[in-house]
Amino acid sequence: MRRIILAFLAALALPTAAAAAEGTRVQVKGEIIDTWCYFSGVMGSPDAVVGSAHHTCALWCSAGGIPVGLLAEDGTVYMVLKVGDDAQAAGGDTLLKLAAHTVEADGMLYERDGLNYIVVSDVVSDLDITNKNHDDFGNVPAFSIPNPNK
Amino acid sequence: MMKPILAILTLAAAPLAAQDFSEGSEARSWNLYAEVPAKFEAKVVDLVCEFSGDCPTDCGAGKRQLGLVRTADDVLVLPMKNSQPAFTGAAVELQPFCGQTITVDGLMIDDPELGANNVYLVQSILAPGMEKKIKANQWTKAWAKEHPEAKGKGPWFRRDPAVKEIIATEGYLGLGLDVDETFIAENF
Repeated sequence: MRRIILAFLAALALPTAAAAAEGTRVQVKGEIIDTWCYFSGVMGSPDAVVGSAHHTCALWCSAGGIPVGLLAEDGTVYMVLKVGDDAQAAGGDTLLKLAAHTVEADGMLYERDGLNYIVVSDVVSDLDITNKNHDDFGNVPAFSIPNPNK
Repeated sequence: MMKPILAILTLAAAPLAAQDFSEGSEARSWNLYAEVPAKFEAKVVDLVCEFSGDCPTDCGAGKRQLGLVRTADDVLVLPMKNSQPAFTGAAVELQPFCGQTITVDGLMIDDPELGANNVYLVQSILAPGMEKKIKANQWTKAWAKEHPEAKGKGPWFRRDPAVKEIIATEGYLGLGLDVDETFIAENF
């Protein structure tokens, strides 16, 4: 009986210990997004808060220190913590210049409590903005482009 | 024979069940679809340090993303926003408390379909030794101190030098100034 209980407790402990520390090497292709607008819905639907429609707001959020994400083609969001030697993922210039761009990134993935965190070792390619969705959604939010008539 | 096993299963399942951290929260609603008020105690951690062992003593001076390891269940929460409705994050607010255990109040965003798990908007902070909680609204002051050359009217994001530089060369839509010109002519 005692052995059964101990074995059960040991089995429970194993996944927790492994998940906290292990990283996995990954290559991800996707768009550099503003995660707050994407997750919160504060500016509209997920399709509207990416791409050219949301480029200016993505700049504001990145410069403002909101976590930047890498939205992969399968819909997975990776929270970017570092790019190359630049760990300034809260308002740094490296990620600011990539706002709304589609990139191919190589890095280490850390999964913890339902989120995917990525430490990017190398941006293998920067394909610029490929999601040209402003004709579908306009500029989001509408005040992101100052009205020239006012 | 079965009773001890059932007892162990019950104990083991308890931390896995979703916990309610809304009790005692005084968080203001932002009327967000997936917001849930949440007040909890947590240790402030440098996320790059947590995962890869690169650990500067100042936790990145507000330029690295920080995390909150919740005392009650050891869950790592990602603070994405401070309390200002101004496109501003939470790292600057939490950096002074890096390595400390504090109590935060704010809004959890819970939308698993989008991947929003354990992401958080911090509205207030109470650290040991503080008589009163403080609002998590220092970002714009920190920005103004860092950018005295950008002093002027209007919100910070219209005046930020790095943002202005990119818009001046790539346009608001990021596709070039010609694309902007056409879009503005058709839509304004």
